[in-house]
Amino acid sequence: MEQQTISREFTFPGNSESMVDARESIMDFIKKNGASEGEEIDIFVALQEALANAVLHGCQNDGAKTVRCCIKIDPSAFVIVIRDPGPGFDLAATQTAGPRLNTTEHGRGICLMRSLMNDISYGHGGSEVRLRKLRGR
Amino acid sequence: MLRISVHVAHPNVTLHCSGRIVLGLETETLRCMATSRTENCLTLDLSGIRALDAAGIGLLVELQCWADQEKKALRIAKPSACVRRLVDLTNLQSLLQVGDCEKVGSFEEWERAALATGAERAMSA
Repeated sequence: MEQQTISREFTFPGNSESMVDARESIMDFIKKNGASEGEEIDIFVALQEALANAVLHGCQNDGAKTVRCCIKIDPSAFVIVIRDPGPGFDLAATQTAGPRLNTTEHGRGICLMRSLMNDISYGHGGSEVRLRKLRGR
Repeated sequence: MLRISVHVAHPNVTLHCSGRIVLGLETETLRCMATSRTENCLTLDLSGIRALDAAGIGLLVELQCWADQEKKALRIAKPSACVRRLVDLTNLQSLLQVGDCEKVGSFEEWERAALATGAERAMSA
């Protein structure tokens, strides 16, 4: 039987404590719907970065704000869309020609997401990020 | 979750880490555990790490800088495939001292090499 498209939406308060529970729930959903071990690790790291950006930058770690995360899984890919209520950010400032040595403690999140996902795009001025991981790649 | 067990063989200490090193309690725990050690040679055994994020990578960079400032030897030993992959992706091979166990044989030999390097650093300081 051909696998169907499955989707689910998660919402959680925009603070780091809630983020951990939400991350585990999202990963449980992804694992139960056929992610391989390699896909699971890549998605976990990219998801963690996207959620951390949404909570820390989009919500300023404020539990009164809300983060939305929509997951869509079809036979070809996992798609994760995360939206926060923040003002977004300057996309151009994050564009780099390729991997470079960053010797500081910060500033690797977007680079990691780009490296681990097959596709990453932003909407709403940067307050929405869309991650796509192809199956079996 | 991150689990850390400590193995002391003065002047070496090895922190055996398993689980995840990610933003939050995990990075705070490892930072506190590592920077509170008084030994001159600190080894992070990351063979049990299943996930590492940008905050975890950033912490490894921070600990390397801390060790350099404190004139301690810090090594990352037995990196799991996940750790190795993220170190490669972030191009940090030249900054982080990641042990290649295949080249030096056993982990104990690698630790002896770390001790020797630490002694060289201490002598040149």
